[in-house]
Amino acid sequence: MGPASSSTVRPPAPAEIPTNWSLMRRLFGLVWEYRGRCWQVLGLQLVLLTMGLAGLNLTGQAIDFIRHRVSGAPLPAGGFRIPFPADWPPERTLAVIASLILALALGRAVLNYVYSILINRLTQQEIVPQLRARVYDRLQRLSFRFFDANSTGSIINRVTGDVQAVRMFLDQVLIQSFIMVISLTVYIAYMASLHAGLTVACLATTPVLWIAAVRFSRLIQPAYARNRDLADIMVRNLAESVQGIAVTKGFGREAEDRAKFLRSNDAVLEQQQSIFWRVSVFSPAVGFLTRINMIVLLGYGGWLVAHDRLPLGAGLVVFAGLLEQFSGQVNNVANVVNGVQQSLIGARRVFEILDTPVEIQSRPGALRPDRFGGAVRFEGVSFAYKVHEPVLHEIDLDVAPGRCVAIVGATGAGKSALMSLIPRFYDPTAGRVLVDGVDVRELDLDNLRRNIGLVFQESFLFSHTVSANIAFGHPQATAEQIRRAATVAAAHEFIVQLPQGYDTVLGESGVTLSGGQRQRLALARAILLEPAILLLDDPTAAIDSHTEQEIFDALDRTIAGRTTFIVAHRLSTLRRADFIVVMEEGRIVQRGTHAELMQRPGPYLHAASLQLADNRELQQLAERGAVE
Amino acid sequence: MSRAPARLDLLTVAPRPAGDEDEEQFKPLEWGLIRRLIGFTRPQRRKFWIMVALSAVRAIQLPAIVWAMGAIIAGPAARHDLHALAWWLAGYAALAISTDFLFHFRQRYALELGEYAVNALRAAIFTHLQRMPMSFFHRVKLGRIISRVTSDVEAVRVGIQDVFFVSVIQAGQMVFAAVAMLFCDWSLFLVVLAMAPVIWTVNRRFRSELSRLSRASQESFSRVTATLAESVGGIRVTQGFVRQATNAGLFRSLLSDHARYNVALARTSAILLPILELNSQFFIAVLLLLGGWRTFHNEMEVSSLIQFFFLANLFFSPIAVIGNQYNQALIAMAGAERIFRMLDTKPDWEDAPDASDLPGPPPAPAPAGGMCIEFRQVTFGYDPARPVLLDIDFSARPGQMVALVGHTGSGKSSIINLAAKFYLPTLGEVRIDGREIRTLTSRSLHRQMGIVAQQNFLFSGTVLDNIRLGRPEAPEDEIRETVNRLDGLDMLAELPLGWQTEVGEGGRNLSTGQRQLVCFARALLADPRLLILDEATASIDALTEARLQRALVTLLRGRTSLVVAHRLSTIRHADLVLVLDRGRIIERGTHAALLSQQGHYAALYRQFVNVDEHRAPDRPAGPFPL
Repeated sequence: MGPASSSTVRPPAPAEIPTNWSLMRRLFGLVWEYRGRCWQVLGLQLVLLTMGLAGLNLTGQAIDFIRHRVSGAPLPAGGFRIPFPADWPPERTLAVIASLILALALGRAVLNYVYSILINRLTQQEIVPQLRARVYDRLQRLSFRFFDANSTGSIINRVTGDVQAVRMFLDQVLIQSFIMVISLTVYIAYMASLHAGLTVACLATTPVLWIAAVRFSRLIQPAYARNRDLADIMVRNLAESVQGIAVTKGFGREAEDRAKFLRSNDAVLEQQQSIFWRVSVFSPAVGFLTRINMIVLLGYGGWLVAHDRLPLGAGLVVFAGLLEQFSGQVNNVANVVNGVQQSLIGARRVFEILDTPVEIQSRPGALRPDRFGGAVRFEGVSFAYKVHEPVLHEIDLDVAPGRCVAIVGATGAGKSALMSLIPRFYDPTAGRVLVDGVDVRELDLDNLRRNIGLVFQESFLFSHTVSANIAFGHPQATAEQIRRAATVAAAHEFIVQLPQGYDTVLGESGVTLSGGQRQRLALARAILLEPAILLLDDPTAAIDSHTEQEIFDALDRTIAGRTTFIVAHRLSTLRRADFIVVMEEGRIVQRGTHAELMQRPGPYLHAASLQLADNRELQQLAERGAVE
Repeated sequence: MSRAPARLDLLTVAPRPAGDEDEEQFKPLEWGLIRRLIGFTRPQRRKFWIMVALSAVRAIQLPAIVWAMGAIIAGPAARHDLHALAWWLAGYAALAISTDFLFHFRQRYALELGEYAVNALRAAIFTHLQRMPMSFFHRVKLGRIISRVTSDVEAVRVGIQDVFFVSVIQAGQMVFAAVAMLFCDWSLFLVVLAMAPVIWTVNRRFRSELSRLSRASQESFSRVTATLAESVGGIRVTQGFVRQATNAGLFRSLLSDHARYNVALARTSAILLPILELNSQFFIAVLLLLGGWRTFHNEMEVSSLIQFFFLANLFFSPIAVIGNQYNQALIAMAGAERIFRMLDTKPDWEDAPDASDLPGPPPAPAPAGGMCIEFRQVTFGYDPARPVLLDIDFSARPGQMVALVGHTGSGKSSIINLAAKFYLPTLGEVRIDGREIRTLTSRSLHRQMGIVAQQNFLFSGTVLDNIRLGRPEAPEDEIRETVNRLDGLDMLAELPLGWQTEVGEGGRNLSTGQRQLVCFARALLADPRLLILDEATASIDALTEARLQRALVTLLRGRTSLVVAHRLSTIRHADLVLVLDRGRIIERGTHAALLSQQGHYAALYRQFVNVDEHRAPDRPAGPFPL
């Protein structure tokens, strides 16, 4: 047996808030795994950039050439130009330039295509699915604590939106900033080679633009976030008023409900106004700043051309083209800055899942017994979901194989907690749980769970066929096995009456089942595993007492021969147990058979008598039954 | 494509079933729909016309700026005319300032118009929904209603904000550029013109392919999220049944399916964009050859040639933009069509025009006493061809309690639906205080009625908000007194913030018992003359159960009530028990009387109580719940 020290539960490590730098390092690390592809992509970008500039340069040369031939303007010297033989007919020179431009364009088109494919394969087909699969894998192994602490929506968002945000770090931050830095450098170098003074004059407003763009996006982001929240509230109000329509109509409160919706609808509108104002001030302002550059270019550049210090085509026209491309890249700064922010937020949430320790896993060399007998024993077991809030205190309980124990108690008495320790959904904080005399922590986790059948209060069925749901724990089960399990669970009769029998699809877009039917499917799902131990957590809770009858026979057949723990409130269920354990505030306060407990004053008798109309009437009925 | 998925914190909308004809993505342009949409901007009519004017002006300004730039380079700069250059520059600056100044209004008004229209559409949808009778809500799925006010309304917004005005501007720009080119050199312009249809066709073809793929990608993504949601919801089952590896495999295959669509999407746009870019490069090459040749032979000015370099772009770029806008327009049309179809759905029935209010109770201090309710030969079916109630006949005098017992599907809920005027009987009459229910306004009836539904539905908000729903004007003291009468103050005090506790989505921050108490308090606060109670089936621990039973007695006292009963203790208090089976009343009387009749009721009652002692596995299930 394991030493007592191993029974101390490791409390979940308090979440350390990682700094932005450490997150960045990890993101870089993640990208580094794909470095080969990243270099390819970056190399391609470099080639594309060069080809684009070459095309622009050729256009400028052509203009100068035409002007030279037509009006005798001097052919400017220097710069990157092809020395065409002067004795060529001008048509030939033009044709060569034109076909070069066309060839470059074709090459660019092909390379652009290759680039898009590469980057998308890398992000959408590799990084995102691989990361999602990793997060999902981890998610499935996390303890229930994690699921108790996080809403479904937030968990889903981590696998979907947040993973995309992490990906953004590669294509919208790293690659974009690389492209930006390289192309801005190249543009500036090119422009400077044409004319340094003109370059400085034209780019004077750029820093202003840069700062404005970054500040603006910082300013507007919270406003957009607020707007999404308001829109969510509006939609939620709508959804609720549809779901609660009977209540609203029943109390004649349509007017109030409408007012509530319209308020939330108007709140969205009002908040939007301020966003609209900011956007409509910002973008014309940016537009104007860009045009100032153009005015400077035309004025100063025109002056230079007039004084023959700058060629018209390869100088001014090319410059205008470069400037346009340049401001496009400058506007990208804001995107990159946003990208950094968003990918950091996403990364934090994704890494949080990847870093959450798997609390419960098999010890190396864990035991895998061939067959479970089903003896279950609790030895001084205490347990707390949260530190300092114990829900079980020193529980001692011994259940022989094949016996049925019912657990009774108020909400929060610790019934479900007690049961969840057997399949190791949690580990006890003190004491130990033994199955067939072995501490469950010494057993192989998967093997242990495969030998335990579970039925919950409200059984979660998946949107698969009936067969797939029954075979959930054993996907290789034969049709015959499935049918047999369904028959034992008294589910076969109603299943064959479903539209497609065992192949009927359940769930949102399929057939909906009644509570009793769902629970019988859940029983079948548990039976199929032929478990030695059966845990039934209030399986009739969500069923009205009439339907409860439907599943009793199924229950009786299922329980036979297996060690069973059943949480129950109703006497009709409790009477089935070999003995009953009454819990209060995490302790066992009474134990015995139904008959014994009914003889003893105590919580059980009290609760039972509340439930049984009144004794006198029962008496009366029993007599009548006897007469009949 | 890389757009983050919609936030799922508040709602997880189920993926749409495939092949739903109601969810078509495109609809051809339809003048009637467009007019109707524009009608929703009517309160902003002034802005609308200003916008039309601004768009026209901008359609001239944008090409004028480019033309001016070309003209400066090709004209004064090339001619080395500094004086003219200064004048031209001043003109250019003035044009730039005016353009950007007007752009502020053009942008803001467009955004505002779209938002106003969206706001008005949502309000119209909501108001219309409230007019619909219950049958509508049983028929139409929530997800569908939500997509009307979210994705469809958003499509319409894009239509109003962008499509119309952007198309006007871009088309104007094209015309202007065409005129300018024609003016410079008509033969070169013909080349440009010949290329336009090619670009248009390529663009259209790829755009429709793109939207088809993006829809497929969205669908595959909704499969991913739906599976994910199930995995999280069913995590206990998954871990309990050791299914992690199988699930992970399934999830991976869904992911790679989604990736496949995304890559296909990327591939298509990767073809389209270079082709569009190639076009303008192609044009430049042609321009150089043809234009160069013509200038060499003095058939064309060099300045015209330079102008062409700038103007051609101005002519080509709108083609792609308008192509996109056209696509958006089709999507907006489809959205608008669905919205209007919902707005045009006529309610199955509405209050008769001559219906009058149900007189209220005599003013306090005279006791309210309750309503008189009577069913006369009522037959009813949700589908009239398949009645679920047949010849129902009973009456309750003021202050009486009627308990309905029977199987699921025996017609209990239908009876309360009729009494609440959620549905109208197919045959026969329901009378309230002696008046036929059709002659009463729903509002006046509902104001004197209270409902406790089976699911104990709570709205998000605080506990206090939820209780107050019964009578919004009630002061807090009175609410406290109401809860006190139900002996529930300590139950609510256990909540972290007492009454001010947010109940959370679906009331999840409250226990079942607390939820039920809030629903009782809500009904008691309304102080209705008729109470309709669909008893909860969920079992609660015995002590809480007993307290709620006592609260129920308080709630029912002094008013007429119609109760779908599942608990013996409730049934025993009834003045009249109706035993229903397949839409008919098969037994009636008080609990005691029914027991002594030794009929169905008595047999089943006994079976329930003795179930353990004389257990027979093959005993048939009973016809009514206890």
